[in-house]
Amino acid sequence: MNNSLGRLIDGMVATLRKEVIPRVEGDYARGQAFGVVYMLNSLKLRASWSNAFLLDQLSALEDASRELKALAPDLPGAPLLDVHAPAALPDANALEAMRDAGDASLCNLIDWLGANRARLPEQAVARAETAIDTYLARQAKYEISTSARPMFVEMSGGAEKT
Amino acid sequence: MRESPGAASADAPAFESVERLRKRLGDYLGAAAGRPVSVTDVAKFPAGFSWITCAVSLSGFPDAEEAILRVGPPYGLFAPYSAMPEFESLSALAGGDVPAPRVYLASDDPAILGAPFFLSEKVEGDTPLPWGSQGQALEGARRDSLAADFIGALAALHRFDWRATPLAKWGEGVTLDNAAHRQIDDWEARFRRWTLRPHPMAHRALAWLRANAPAARRLSMVHGDYRLGNFLERDGRISAILDWELVHLGDPVEDLGWAFLPQYRGGTPLVCGLASEADFLARYEAQSGLSVDRASLRFYLVFSLLKLAFTHMAAARCFEDGLFNDMRMPAMATQIAPVFRQIGRTLEQAA
Repeated sequence: MNNSLGRLIDGMVATLRKEVIPRVEGDYARGQAFGVVYMLNSLKLRASWSNAFLLDQLSALEDASRELKALAPDLPGAPLLDVHAPAALPDANALEAMRDAGDASLCNLIDWLGANRARLPEQAVARAETAIDTYLARQAKYEISTSARPMFVEMSGGAEKT
Repeated sequence: MRESPGAASADAPAFESVERLRKRLGDYLGAAAGRPVSVTDVAKFPAGFSWITCAVSLSGFPDAEEAILRVGPPYGLFAPYSAMPEFESLSALAGGDVPAPRVYLASDDPAILGAPFFLSEKVEGDTPLPWGSQGQALEGARRDSLAADFIGALAALHRFDWRATPLAKWGEGVTLDNAAHRQIDDWEARFRRWTLRPHPMAHRALAWLRANAPAARRLSMVHGDYRLGNFLERDGRISAILDWELVHLGDPVEDLGWAFLPQYRGGTPLVCGLASEADFLARYEAQSGLSVDRASLRFYLVFSLLKLAFTHMAAARCFEDGLFNDMRMPAMATQIAPVFRQIGRTLEQAA
């Protein structure tokens, strides 16, 4: 792919809205197409080319770099590569699993605080809940900032919002 | 019937195929009526994530020539379904002060159509949507008239003497003290079934609800989804309150909490785009004979926000499991975080 992922999504969205949707018959079908537009816009805010795709390319570069460096005595003064692919880039699934494990631990703590509140120092509970609430607000803010503008009017009516 | 009603495979449930649906429903209605009944047309309504709704044309059916068929598919948002709560509640309300469709027949027997279903009156009218019909708010005399009907119907529902009807059996185990806790338990169980990942905010809100659950001042029939978008309007009047699938006995303030949600205000500061909070409460209290405790209202607002977040999780679950390809479902799922933020702010104000 030569185009950026963001530009590709912008192009798909523009094509759907300007060329495809106006020619689709039926409110429901057009509403579904607006749903596709909405989800593409959301994907744009969160997605990137996969790590595995880039890691493969870096590994290939590293191989080339190693082979070229072996030729250094025969190529005096040549600007040879010195590429080293990392052993493993952070995998999105692994990161998601780490986040979920952390959230699950927090869920357990919240449940425990709820069950044991009566026997705990009031101030300690308040401090714990403030810390939890700060995290929850930060998490919600991040989720919202990486979601596209909702398009429920378009999706329910099958037409651009006037 | 999800994608191409006429093209369902032979082993698909009967409700997925127009031809088999017509035959099976006609046979069933004929047996019930004691004379031949044929279903001459079936037209599916596109709206809705839960029950499938179809307009059916009937020949030989003694109660109506046009009716509404509602089918609860195994892949619906709140599946598994039973037709009985909606059928029994609408039967009990028939002829009373709550505008609602008459119901004719219902069955949970999957041998008939492949899923629970009921047949009801086809009431004329249109549905104003919560997000505004193309962004236009309800206005003027039309809004005043709809507000009067909307508040009046809710008050009538909450005044309804369910104990004097077959719904009395629903009251077993429900008390003024446990009504809120039963709903928390019920929705927490749904949350655990639907969630795709851990949600600390859901646990935080559930803990708050358990610590602040009020006692009800009355046990009423609670609609469970009383809002703009769930009634039919004809000539500026509400012709029917729809979508009774979440009906149950409980604290009537629960319906107020749901109706007061910002999501159903149609871009206005008005409750369901119809009346100010103060006006709504004053008229509701006068007509229902119930004084609304403001702490209870706040509790049920938080409860309703959490219920809404859980409903969005149900949509995410349905889509993730491949049960639906409706693009509105993943779109709904993107609204979990905004609802959680509203819950956080409401809890902060309550502290």
